[in-house]
Amino acid sequence: MNILIGTVLLGLGAVWMLRRLSRTRPGVVPDVIARARQTTIFMIPRIFAGLIGAGFMAELLPVDQVERIFGEGSGVWGVMLATLFGTLTPGGPFVAFAIGASALKAGAALAPLMAYITAWCVFNLNRTLAYELAFMGRRFTMIRHIISLPVPFLTGVLLLAF
Amino acid sequence: MPPSNENPGSSTPRKLVDGSLIFLIALGVAGGIGVWVLRGPDRFLEILSHELFFSAVLLPKILAGVLIASALPFMISRERITAAVGPDSGVRGLVIATLAGAIIPGGPSVTYPLAVGLMAAGADLGAGMAIVSGWVLLGLNRTLIWEFSFLPGDFVVLRWLISLPVPILLGLAVRRIWGKMPP
Repeated sequence: MNILIGTVLLGLGAVWMLRRLSRTRPGVVPDVIARARQTTIFMIPRIFAGLIGAGFMAELLPVDQVERIFGEGSGVWGVMLATLFGTLTPGGPFVAFAIGASALKAGAALAPLMAYITAWCVFNLNRTLAYELAFMGRRFTMIRHIISLPVPFLTGVLLLAF
Repeated sequence: MPPSNENPGSSTPRKLVDGSLIFLIALGVAGGIGVWVLRGPDRFLEILSHELFFSAVLLPKILAGVLIASALPFMISRERITAAVGPDSGVRGLVIATLAGAIIPGGPSVTYPLAVGLMAAGADLGAGMAIVSGWVLLGLNRTLIWEFSFLPGDFVVLRWLISLPVPILLGLAVRRIWGKMPP
């Protein structure tokens, strides 16, 4: 349902932009279409390969064991592990947030939870492989990941300090 | 090589088969073999058909997103985008980019094309980084809908506040390290 609404809104946006361009700068419309076609051809194999690969990987990850590892008093080690698990957690936001919530119920501390959620937000291997590489290219993706590397760890450690 | 306003720069790398695609395919094949061996052929087919169906459902949305990203550089003048979020836009430009990333509703098939479009239209690498980081860390759509429904409210607010300056800091770091070169 969400996808349908998003598709309709984006479609309307695209139609509106193309109509406006065809009125104000009709000469550039073929260029826009050609560019869109080129980008789409580039993306389609990546989207399919990425989503199918992520689907298989999700099945193989021991998600049910994740909550056991965020124990209270796990300290910096727990934060580091949580960062790793956040990066590897597949699926949409509901998966990561649900795992985080169940870990919290099972007695996990806030610091590893913070690192876990932040790591999932920032790195999310699934999204990186299926979307970011396809849309942004290797250089952007690599720079963003390198520069963001300390972020989940630091947010977790910040909570440890309190 | 900064592209002119009449013909904005291309927005994606052009090589159809490159290392990233080969890696994705290898990952898919390895994962597929793993699922087939460990969970059986039925589960393999179930996941494969589910992901194929999902990818197909996603295609129209991606197409619309790509069209928007392709049209964007022609819609707004390069000068205005460069002034707002270009290499010399300073911290103010990074704040604008971060907020744009946080506010834009929708998933990766919306935000990435938009970032690509803005970067093709004059935003620099630092601003592109701030848009994507603003979206992944602060995206209001995801936080309001998903995060608040699963996690305690005070935790969510705390996480959001801690993350608030991060995209701006990352943008500054990228500008400092990778210079003011165009993306």
